Amino acid sequence: MKKHKKQRSLSTKLSLWTVLFAGVIFIAAHGVFFNESRLAVQNAAIENATRILDNTVLRVDNILTQVKVATDNTDWLITRHLDAPDSMFVYSRRILQNNPNLNGCSISFEPFYFSERGQYFSAYSQNVGGVIRTTQEGNDHYQYFSMDWYQLPKLLERPCWTEPFVDFNPEGFSSNDMIISYCKPIRDREGEFIGTIAVDLSLEWLSQTISAVKPYPNSYTIMIGKGGTFFVHPDTTKLFYQTIFTQTMLEPDSAITDLGHAMQAGEQGYRELVIEGENSFVFFKPLGDTGWSVGLVCPAHDIFGGYYRLINTIIGIVIVGLLLMLMSFSSILTKQLEPLEELAWQAEEIASGNFDEELAESNRNDEIGKLSNSFRHMQQSLVTQMDELKHVNEQKGRIEGELKVARDIQMAMLPKIFPPYPERSDIDVFGQLTPAKEVGGDLFDFYIRDEKLFFCIGDVSGKGIPASLYMVVTKALFRTVSSHEASPEKIIYDLNEVLSHDNDSNMFVTFFAGVLDLPTGRLHYCNAGHDAPLLIGHTGAGLLPVDSNLPIGVMPGWKFSRQETMMDPDTTIFLYTDGLNEAENISHQQFEMTRVLELARSMQQQNDFKPMSIVKQMTESVRQFVGEADQSDDLTMLALQYTKHQENLTYQRSLTLTNDLKRVPRLNTFIDEVCEANGFDMAATMQINLAIEEAVVNVMNYAYPKGTKGDITIETKANKSELSFIISDTGKPFDPTAKAEVDITLSAEDRSIGGLGIHLIRQIMDHINYERVDGHNILTLIKKLGK
Amino acid sequence: MEVKINNQDGNATAQLIGRLDTPASQEISGDFETLAQYAAGTIILDCTQLEYISSSGLRLFLSLRKAAAAKGGKVIVKSINKDIRSVFMMTGFLNLFEIQD
Repeated sequence: MKKHKKQRSLSTKLSLWTVLFAGVIFIAAHGVFFNESRLAVQNAAIENATRILDNTVLRVDNILTQVKVATDNTDWLITRHLDAPDSMFVYSRRILQNNPNLNGCSISFEPFYFSERGQYFSAYSQNVGGVIRTTQEGNDHYQYFSMDWYQLPKLLERPCWTEPFVDFNPEGFSSNDMIISYCKPIRDREGEFIGTIAVDLSLEWLSQTISAVKPYPNSYTIMIGKGGTFFVHPDTTKLFYQTIFTQTMLEPDSAITDLGHAMQAGEQGYRELVIEGENSFVFFKPLGDTGWSVGLVCPAHDIFGGYYRLINTIIGIVIVGLLLMLMSFSSILTKQLEPLEELAWQAEEIASGNFDEELAESNRNDEIGKLSNSFRHMQQSLVTQMDELKHVNEQKGRIEGELKVARDIQMAMLPKIFPPYPERSDIDVFGQLTPAKEVGGDLFDFYIRDEKLFFCIGDVSGKGIPASLYMVVTKALFRTVSSHEASPEKIIYDLNEVLSHDNDSNMFVTFFAGVLDLPTGRLHYCNAGHDAPLLIGHTGAGLLPVDSNLPIGVMPGWKFSRQETMMDPDTTIFLYTDGLNEAENISHQQFEMTRVLELARSMQQQNDFKPMSIVKQMTESVRQFVGEADQSDDLTMLALQYTKHQENLTYQRSLTLTNDLKRVPRLNTFIDEVCEANGFDMAATMQINLAIEEAVVNVMNYAYPKGTKGDITIETKANKSELSFIISDTGKPFDPTAKAEVDITLSAEDRSIGGLGIHLIRQIMDHINYERVDGHNILTLIKKLGK
Repeated sequence: MEVKINNQDGNATAQLIGRLDTPASQEISGDFETLAQYAAGTIILDCTQLEYISSSGLRLFLSLRKAAAAKGGKVIVKSINKDIRSVFMMTGFLNLFEIQD
């Protein structure tokens, strides 16, 4: 729904703007046009009205002139025929006959001018419906010489027009019409005023004549007299009773007042003003020498009627046109922008994670087509990218998962139970490996076999997975080789032989292997290119001297040298990888051996060099040194503390035999006595006898080659907890513990004849330990007491 | 150490008397070679009076057992005492021989 709203809003907006713009242009153009055309219409109207008014005035003038001419034509006849009063009736009648437009004509004389006719003599003819009646007027009730029409020319001594008046003659046959009269003084030959000739004109008729011309349907004509009185007005109630100023007395109207004054002053022109609530134009012009003024009142809506109709039509057309334009624009734009709507919808789909939306290729050539196709390409490449990303992420996740498993496996291969030998008082070990990555190339190991502590530490070149693979192999090999080999240099030799062959990747391991003889505290060790371990004991702290052998894996056949030292009681040997001395802080400074040694000495001085304590303190010190920096290399530490057994012997005996099997019964007797003295029962005695016999017979058979003579000494010692048999000889080196174990589960056919002796010894005795010291084979067998 | 061998119908019975230690094993190795001639039949090693056995003795037993296995015979170990039984157990010999009480 949202998308539709957006879409419509865009097309509507565009259409609205376009139409608005067009509208503004139309309004501006038409505004000018309307204004100009209004002026033109107004000018045309003024011209037209002026012309009509001129015509009207001209026509009225003609009528008035006609009256004057008729009068003037009669005037001289009267003057000539003053001697024949009755001829006046003829003249009066003749004027009317010659001018049917005239209403009446009176030829009146001063009282007693015609003495024979008495005081009154007025020959009066009147046109009543085309019939001319002629009478003698004037009597006591109608003393005509007091009338305006008689007095005005007499007083003015010139011809003049009367104001309109009611043609009223109580005796005669008056019409009660409003009339105006043209009056002219009659003079005798001496120029003496003797009477007046008055020709009447019906105002109604004049009015009809004036009003006959109507330029506009609602226009009308007015005529006012000198005093402003309406002589002609369509509203007859105003005639003679109201002036042009009457209305302004109630409601002051300067425009009307001004108009009135202009008309009274005999001006010609026009005024635009409001008359009776209607905007009107009044064109006015004086009427000859009468002092009257004719006005043509034209309502503005009449003048501009056509103009307004034109405007309305044009506005209508424009509005309808603009609306049509809006609709068609909107529709065209909507249609044109349809692909955009589609795009917007698809974009939303894609944004919501639905990348599989199929997009059609647009065949349009315009920008929208280009946009559509670009968008389509974008989507396709997005899909590809997302697929790749997904694939990469999956792979990464899998690799991370596998790395975690690898790490678990690697860590599980390391000794992790500390203290490892809680039951033993002579040895304490603590080790710790912190890989820089998930998996690492450091290793350490230790275990006790035959009262010897085998231990090693190593650092494979490189880091990560390649190093870890090599580490695993190295560690497994160490266990395998050392299970039957107690000389560290030989163990390392064997490791080197295996690892240096087919070493295509040129990996190598710096390695330190040690074998600590627990009964004696004698340490044999071999260092293959590894950092020298520290010895921390009661007498001080320092580096263990090491020979410079090659690392393992570099050169096959390298003869590794063995070194030897005696471990003083309570001494701790501390082994580490270069992750310790080469640990880097943010400024790439290394921890360095000086700090390691300093720390070791400080611990020595505080008499605090238990394995766990050393490792923890070293770890903490490095941690503080490194600070925020990433761990640069695997860090491994292994510390072993040796404490020699307290002897506290409760029993001691020895026997020396020659290497002759016939001496075995003597041995048996000796063992029986020892066992009896130490409280073993018959069965245990028999078994111990068996074990010692086997060990001694081994020496007789193997240490001394056939035909050579030698002694075998069996020394027995007992303390509170165990009974030891130390069998020593001076024969050739022979380590029975290095023999592989026999498999007692095999069938008779598959079993070898040999190996049973050492197997029985291991089964019967609690500990077995071999040492070659100063040309002696020393085999120690221990049986715990009270078992 | 004394070995008394009785033979009949291709089978043999040997009475082992005394301590079969390492020197004794050398002494009686000829007797076991004799016994090996009956490897196709049943050889009974009567251990009623055997007091002690070392790995040399066990080797004699195993050699005889191998010979019998090669020739389709069998070796029966009869009446071993508790101590020797434990040695048999430690060495896996209990599984290699038919043990009779």
